[in-house]
Amino acid sequence: MDLFHDLAIGFSVALTPANLAFAFAGVLVGTLIGVLPGIGPIATIALLLPLTFHLEPVSGLIMLAGIFYGAQYGGSTTAILVNLPGETSSVVTCIDGHQMARQGRAGAALAVAALGSFFAGTVATLTIATLAPPLAKVGQSFGAPEYFSLLVLGLIAAVVLAHGSVIKAIAMIILGLVLGLIGTDGNTGGSRFTFGMTRLADGLDFVPLVIGLFGLGEIMVNLTQPGHTRSVVAKKVTGLWLTMQEFRQAWPAVLRGTTLGSVLGVLPGGGATLSAFAAYVLEKKVARDPSRFGRGAIEGVAGPESANNAGAQTSFIPMLTLGIPGNAVMALMIGALTIHGIQPGPQIMTERPEMFWGMVASMWIGNLMLVIINLPLIGIWVQLLKVPYRLLYLSILLFSAIGVYTVNNSTFDVLMAALFGFVGYVFIRLECEPAPLILGFVLGPLMEDNLRRAMRISSGDPMIFLDRPISLCLLIAALLLLIVVALPAIRSKREEAFQES
Amino acid sequence: MLQRKNVLSGLLFIAVAAAGLWVSRNYPIGTALRMGTGYVPRLLLWILLLLGVIVMVMGLRAGAGKTQADSETTSVWRPLIFVTASLVTFSLTIERLGLVISILLLIGIGSLATRELRLIEMVLATFLLIVLSVGIFIIGLGLTIPVWPEW
Repeated sequence: MDLFHDLAIGFSVALTPANLAFAFAGVLVGTLIGVLPGIGPIATIALLLPLTFHLEPVSGLIMLAGIFYGAQYGGSTTAILVNLPGETSSVVTCIDGHQMARQGRAGAALAVAALGSFFAGTVATLTIATLAPPLAKVGQSFGAPEYFSLLVLGLIAAVVLAHGSVIKAIAMIILGLVLGLIGTDGNTGGSRFTFGMTRLADGLDFVPLVIGLFGLGEIMVNLTQPGHTRSVVAKKVTGLWLTMQEFRQAWPAVLRGTTLGSVLGVLPGGGATLSAFAAYVLEKKVARDPSRFGRGAIEGVAGPESANNAGAQTSFIPMLTLGIPGNAVMALMIGALTIHGIQPGPQIMTERPEMFWGMVASMWIGNLMLVIINLPLIGIWVQLLKVPYRLLYLSILLFSAIGVYTVNNSTFDVLMAALFGFVGYVFIRLECEPAPLILGFVLGPLMEDNLRRAMRISSGDPMIFLDRPISLCLLIAALLLLIVVALPAIRSKREEAFQES
Repeated sequence: MLQRKNVLSGLLFIAVAAAGLWVSRNYPIGTALRMGTGYVPRLLLWILLLLGVIVMVMGLRAGAGKTQADSETTSVWRPLIFVTASLVTFSLTIERLGLVISILLLIGIGSLATRELRLIEMVLATFLLIVLSVGIFIIGLGLTIPVWPEW
């Protein structure tokens, strides 16, 4: 079996002491930020990008991945105990999870969240291992026109499935694409939007951009909001296990959530948050007595918690196999790879198998670590909620500044981060989400390159995108998505799905 | 409120697109077969301009005269000014005055971004952050950042 051979390579990479340590560091940091509201996985991964620059690419990826799925575990803890979602993906967990806690069933809620997540993580890891190689083969058979159309579909789908105004999100993508083109044009040698600065000749640096937009922009927005008073339910959590009846109620929900999350995670724009919302809606639909939801139904915790973890992990599939980021976290991963000079895409699996499989194996190990970190140590995490934001933001600010500086030992980069912090703040206040911009930024040069190559194949005839059957299908799919989201009925349903609370 | 935001976002997109188009006015465009430096960027900027107009018009049409008061209790400008100032100061001082003094300045200016300042807590946190930074970046990663001012 090839799969076992590949996984064996993966485990031999993931089980080295150094990589185990990085996986542990990743899930630990992930849990930490999952617990703390006001700082999300995107900002954290952005902040830690400079650090991975000094590591081996595999170790860096393992750590960043750990942060992402670790945050899904941590987010549920605060959702259940404090009725405060640490992450957007655990917003729905608050509904029934906190009710369970108030009925004295906090232990059961936490246990089902952790065990459901672990089960989902295991399934998602296997899904990646089985689905990625064939997908990469498909990707390798794509020519420039197909690849260009795939990028278009990926970008459109990413904004349609995300929440917020679609048209603004598309504008943000375009803006990102343009920003991605800053610097010297690889094909003609002409410089674009460099304003004569040699520092911009190689393009905008990724790290100052993302730290500014996500890390600093978010800090400033949080500071304008009144201080949250966090009333921790500091009761001792006892009975971290499930009764037979709870187990019987929970496991079908875990299965449903895992399946749903695994599917939605692969779609562009999918991932943890969408999966969790969809799973909650599904559980309510299939329940024999929907009125129990909102009053501490264990399925309302089991389903979404499994789904968000499965979705977080399977969203790696399009990134690793096709080089297409489905969400902002994956765009950051691509940025991390590019910093190391690795171009993500179908060739990654054949050229760097140890990296691909090492990361997949580390995900399973990381999930195991998370169960251990989360269940017995739950008290410590709850204590952490008492750290006031006024200290937290200063730490974030400081590590952003040092981190940005260390990548190139460049004070110019720190100024750029300050500039993009300003820009990010303006965007968030105008309700223009910066996430699509990053997707565009990462894909800008790739899209232009494929467009040029496609035009060379067709001698400048744009009809090539419609003549090639695969490319045509991909573009039709993108168009359908846009039409569907423009329909009023669907639009209100979409709003509803994101406001289930 | 939401509508005013749409109008402003639309204007922002239009302004960026217009500025970009002006900057790139002399970039060679070429043909679809042999695309010049300006082909793709200018194409994208025209699309951005169009989207900006749509967003603005949608904002204008949807809610005329509906403005809500800001819900924030703190100033909108305060974090923006002090966070930005702290970073600019850091970039100016890190190479000349070293890590420790730069951190002190960054935290000093950055802490003005909120009014919830507590002195003792702040001193302790600053000390801890300096120790952590030196530990992670200088000792742990072995980076060559000056720790103290160079005379």
